[in-house]
Formats: sequence, structure tokens, C-alpha cells
Amino acid sequence: MTTPDHHNTSIDLDRFNAVFFEECAEHLADMEHILVALDPAHPDGEELNALFRAAHSIKGGAGIFGFRDLTVVTHELESLLDKVRGNELGLTATMIDLFLEARDAIAMQLAGHRDGAAVDQGVIEDICRRLRDQIETNAAAAEASTSSHVPSAEPMTGFRRLEIVFSPDNDIFQRGVRLENLFNELAQLGDLSVKAEIPEAPPFEAFDPEVCHARWIFALDTAAADEEIWDIFEFVAEREQLTIITRDEQATAAPSPAREDIPAPASTPAEAAIAPMGRRAYDRDETAPGAFGRRGGEAESSIRVGVTKVDQLINQVGELVITQSMLSQMAAVLDPVLFENIHRGLLQLERNTRDLQQSVMSIRLVPISIVFSRFPRLVRDLAAKLGKQVDLKTVGEATELDKGLIEKVADPLTHLVRNCLDHGLESPEARMAAGKDPVGTITLRASQVGGRIVIDVMDDGAGLSREKILRKAAERGIPASDAMTDEEVWQLIFAPGFSTAETVTDISGRGVGMDVVLRNVQALSGRVQVSSEPGAGTRVTISLPLTLAILDGLSVAVGGEKFIIPLNAIIESLQPKPEEIKSVNGRTVVHVRGEYLPLLPLHQLFNLETAVTRAEEGIVVLVDVEGEKAALLVDALLDEHQVVIKSLEANYRKVEGTAGATILGDGRVALILDVHALLRMR
Amino acid sequence: MDTSERIIPHEYLTFTLGNEEYGIDILKVQEIRGYDAVTRIANAPEFLKGVINLRGVIVPIVDMRIRFNLGTPHYDEFTVVIIMNVLNRVIGMVVDGVSDVVALEPEQIRPAPELGSALDTRYLTGLGTVNGQMLILMDIEKLLSSDEMQLMDSAA
Repeated sequence: MTTPDHHNTSIDLDRFNAVFFEECAEHLADMEHILVALDPAHPDGEELNALFRAAHSIKGGAGIFGFRDLTVVTHELESLLDKVRGNELGLTATMIDLFLEARDAIAMQLAGHRDGAAVDQGVIEDICRRLRDQIETNAAAAEASTSSHVPSAEPMTGFRRLEIVFSPDNDIFQRGVRLENLFNELAQLGDLSVKAEIPEAPPFEAFDPEVCHARWIFALDTAAADEEIWDIFEFVAEREQLTIITRDEQATAAPSPAREDIPAPASTPAEAAIAPMGRRAYDRDETAPGAFGRRGGEAESSIRVGVTKVDQLINQVGELVITQSMLSQMAAVLDPVLFENIHRGLLQLERNTRDLQQSVMSIRLVPISIVFSRFPRLVRDLAAKLGKQVDLKTVGEATELDKGLIEKVADPLTHLVRNCLDHGLESPEARMAAGKDPVGTITLRASQVGGRIVIDVMDDGAGLSREKILRKAAERGIPASDAMTDEEVWQLIFAPGFSTAETVTDISGRGVGMDVVLRNVQALSGRVQVSSEPGAGTRVTISLPLTLAILDGLSVAVGGEKFIIPLNAIIESLQPKPEEIKSVNGRTVVHVRGEYLPLLPLHQLFNLETAVTRAEEGIVVLVDVEGEKAALLVDALLDEHQVVIKSLEANYRKVEGTAGATILGDGRVALILDVHALLRMR
Repeated sequence: MDTSERIIPHEYLTFTLGNEEYGIDILKVQEIRGYDAVTRIANAPEFLKGVINLRGVIVPIVDMRIRFNLGTPHYDEFTVVIIMNVLNRVIGMVVDGVSDVVALEPEQIRPAPELGSALDTRYLTGLGTVNGQMLILMDIEKLLSSDEMQLMDSAA
């Protein structure tokens, strides 16, 4: 046996590693998010701090869990970030690009550890070297500029460095004094750094958390008079508890009032270390309110639970719902007067189980921002590659949908966004020639409409070209005619093998695009629609069910079996009259309200024996999927239910014409029809 | 013949299909239950009786008597379904009756000769002898995952 050392304890470690990987992934996502939004001219100090903390957390975790290689890049990244946030180096666009590359390198290393993916050491070394180069070259430049800058700075009169020693009463906490408010007020007077000291700690037994033993030493660069400082401490401290010492007149370069926004070059690195960022010096503490990694109170009140546990819970609640409906069915035969209590209890049980089911389902719902957040980076990179200028807008990021759906909708959305960039938006020159803003806009919008989630991907580009699509369709042998409506023409882009890009690029346009999008979305019981206006842009709308786990359906009987037809596909059901049944080319159609709908006898599709073989003897259910209509012939309609969707593939295989199965109130299995697939089966 | 699984004496669940006595690894058996009404699956092979609800799990039921032409299948209160856990799937098998659990030492198992039974020798672990009775040992995992059973998506 030649297992590596750390594998001996791998059972436990694997679990911890998984948590570490997950956290790293989150940190990396956060970094990307911040980096893409970061404006090199006016970086927000808090965001720089957040970046630093993310890198630092990854480095720290990697060190603890023994992923030495992960610490290498993060260390270099951290060093450079530290200089930037300390205002020693000015942030440049190159740096942001470099940070992004470094982030990708770390992601690659992470994937290497987690999934055994290949790690290109050359890339890692290259990144490290370039990060170091940035520090060295920029440090030299910064030094040159500051040394010429400092002497020329106008020394501000009355500007000085103060040392304030604050030794409060022991009972300051008990009096309810909020020290952070004090710190805030002081920080508004100038550059502040704070240090706490415990001059004499009591023995451990005598330690009381409400008794204050600490004293604070503030270093403050300010133009304010002593009186202003006294005022701040007015209600907190007696005069003798506060000492103000003037350390140095004209301590640093004059801080401008707008210091928070413009990173002033610090005079020397040593000084920057003492009082680097004004009132943000203490904010760097991760426990500071609003600091990165804390996101309000949410972090404290949420727990990390494995998806399998949640799914198990959902399954069990599904069982409960089935048991409950079984009980209701059994009790239905009982005399409502004699067994009034049972009926009332069962009604209550039904309400409770429904509520419980809804609550449990909501656990799986996650905000779509998880998917949207990956697009700023994608758009940024692609736009640079294509030489286009793009502004990405996201709306409705808080819209929630099922976690399983989120994962599966990411690919189609990526494809659509790429299409917008590649085919939809014009080059800046073409836009200007058309009298439009050279910066194109791509909008991602999510919203909940009824029981469905609607995601729009919109661009304000050239729009789809009817002529081009028709020409291309003819070239590709896709049936099309000039008489088609715009709607129908737009649908052509979903045909397999269709691509209208003038040149095939590596970004999109391999002709596998839209049909794959359509297929992926349909696999999620979703729909795709396109609308477009020449010159104004294109909009692709994806509509998805809220969850894949439950479905509203109508149960129907066919030859002793029961089937569930999804309610959202049903238009109406009726008993046709003999004269409404017609035969066209040997196929039976039903004539309803001026429309001829093909008749699909379910007993034929599913090879079942039944007494009802003629349409006028049974019931036809009219269904509509994406504008395609048909009439399903069934023996009888049974009931309307909310059913829990179960996979047939878990233990068996996919059954043609079905979207899964469910368990009915009587404990029997019923197949859920996939109406779209049924239409293809005839 | 040094495959590690043969070192440990196996326990087998024995059952009858037609006139033949079969055995499968007891560790693959999850439970034994009576035959219930199944929900038929359209366009499935004849030996796939359909699917049942086993405490919320949808389980396909196969009838080996139909698959291997072993006697006339009939379903009554004595018809038994062996629910098995194979390759992370739960699958039920209809049999004429469950007999016993027997322990077999490796030396009690002989390789199956060709034409030994209705089952292809590919799906047999071997032949065992218990109290002078021949026992056909099924490699149930191989059998149920084979393409000809059509129980799993071939793409998977």
C-alpha cells in the first residue's frame, strides 16, 4: 500500500476539505465580482479591503489544510493588494486584469485539488512573477512621485499628529457606552488609528466580561482643536481619563477633505503602516459592521446544509403528502356526520402538510444572482476580445428558483449572452453610424410571473434580420417560405445546424447554439421565445417552472391505468360529437372552434387495452405546447392534483412520452405525460 | 480462481423459477414482498411487468420467468417479489417462491457448464450443491445491468 500520508486520515479531512473548497469558491466568486466592478480611477477602499480579505482567507485556509501551492499565488496577490489598499501603489487597469488572471490561476489550482483537474504550473509561475513585477516597478515609480510630491505639498496650518490616551472607568460597558460611535466621530476629524491595551489584567477567576480593563491609544492626524476632541468624549470620560499629546506638527501631507474617495499617496511606507486609511483603519476588522464576509445579519442566521439532506427532507415531505391524501381518500367513505371529528382532523392535516411542503420546497430556492453574477466577467472578457463596448444590466437578481434549475439554466443563459455580444450587438463604429450610443447594453432580467420564472436576455443591437435568416434557412435546407410571419421566422434560429454569423468565431456561431439552448430549456419544462425589432435589438425570453419537484396535474384514466397531464399544457377538455371527428389523409382530427386538431389516442401511444377507442365515446383533452395543439383521447377525467414528481430513471430508464412518475393517493404509480414528447411520438 | 469475493463464504437466497432452483447473493437482497398491482410501462419488453411504489421509491419489476421462458407465469397470493439493491438501483424480480438462505463454501461451487440452464453462462457465478440439490447461482448484477434486460439507459 503506497497511499500518501495525508490519506490516512482522509475520511475526516475530506469533509473539512470540502468545506474549504466551497468557501474558496465563494471567495473567488466574490473577488471576481468586486474586480469586475472596480473602477481603477476611483477604487472604493472597502472593496479593496474585501478583496484583500478574500485573498487572505484563501491563503489562510490553504495553509491550514496543507495546500501549500495555493498559498503561493495568494501570497503574491495579497502583497500587491496590500500595497494598493494602503495607497502605496495606485490601482491601474493592468492590475485589475492581473488580479483577475491571478484569481483564475487560483481557481485552476483549486480545481486541481478538488477534481483532480490539470494545473498548468507555467501559468502559476508567470502570474507570481508578474504580480511581483507590479510591486517592484510601481513601487519605484511611486517612490519617485512621492518624493517629488511631498515637499511641494502645501503644509496645512495647525495640522498635527495627536496621541490620545483614553483610560475609561471600569464600568464603561455597564453604562452602555458605544465605543464604536466614539471611534467614528474621532475618525471624522482626520486620519485615525486605534490601539487597545490592557495595562493590568486581573487573575483569570476574577475576570468579568462587563468590566473594562482596557485603555485605548488613538493616533490622529487632524487639524481639529483639542476642544473638539474633548467634546467627543464629553459624556464618556472625565478630564483626567483623557490625555492628549501633540506628537508632531505638520505630520503628513495635507489630507484633502475628500480623502475617502481619492487615494492620497502616503509619504513613506512606514508611516502608511501606522495610519493608513483614516477611519477605515479599524473597519478592516472582519467583525466590523458591513464588512465583507458578514453581509448584515444573514451570515449569522444561516447554516450550511448539504443538498442531499434537503432533498431527503423534500422526499420525506412528499411521502407525507401521499400518506395524507391516502388517508383523505380512505376517510371519504366515512359518514360525515358520525365521523365529523375525523374529517375535521384530516382537513387540518391537509393544510399542515401543504404548508410544510411549501416551506420545505422554499429551502431549495436560491436567488438567480448566483447565475447572473458570472456574467459581468464573461461580458467584460468577451467585449474586450470582440472590440465591442458593452454595458451589462441585471434586473431582478433576487428572484428565486430551484437550485437544480439554477445550475441547469446557467449554460443556456451563457450561450444567449454570448450570442448577444457576438451577433446581437454591433461594433461601436456601426452603432455610431446608426446614431446609437457606441456602448451597447445587454440586459438580464428575471421575474416571477404566476407559477413560472421568466428570464429575459435583451440587447439593443441590430435585431434579427428576416432576409438573412430566410436565406440561411434555404441554404441549410430548413423548410421556410417568405410567407412566414416574423414569429415563425425567428423560430427558425432554433433549428439544428442554424447559424447566421457572417464568420464562424470561437465565441459562438458554431451552429450548435440556439437549438441546444432550446433543448436544454425544454428539458427543464421551460419555453423559449424570441422577439426582435430591426435596429432596436433582440429579446430572448426563457420561462421556467418554479420548481422541478412538484407539478399541478389532471389525472386521467386510460384502460385501467392513470396518467397525469400537466395542467399548464391543458386548454380544455370536452366530449366531441361524432360530426366533429374528421379524417384527413387517414389521420383522425377533431374539429373544435374552427380548428382541426390531430387526435392522439393515449391507449394507442401506450399500448393499452381499453373499451374506449372512438373519440366520441371518450373525452378529449386539448393541449397546447409552444403553440402546437393536439387533442388527447382518454377514457375519463379523474381529478386535479398537485403531484410530487419522481424520477423513473433513478431505478429504471426514461420512458418515451413521459416526464417522470408520481405516486397517487391510492399508493399506485402514475406516469406524468410529457405532452411535448407525445406530439413527437405520433 | 483467486478473485477475492470467492474467499469469503457467501450466503445465498434461494428461490424457484419454474422447476429450477436459483440462488443470488443475499447481500444484494433488500427485502421480499408479495406481488402487487403494477403500473404498466408502454412499449417496454414483455418481461418488464411495470413499476411499483415501494414506500415512495418507484421500482421496476421484472419477471424472469417470462424473460427465460421458465414455465407459465401466473400471479397469485403466493407470488413473491425479491427487491434487490444492485448498482445503486432498486429493482424487483418476480419469482415462483423463495426457499431458503444457504451458506456455500467456495469448494461447493463449480463453474457452470454451457447449456446448464435457461440462463446464459455469462450471467452465472457457478453451480452449487446443497443437500444433493443443484443450485444455479446468478450473477444478478451482471444480469440486470446487461443491455438485453433494457433496465438502464444505455447512454448512462
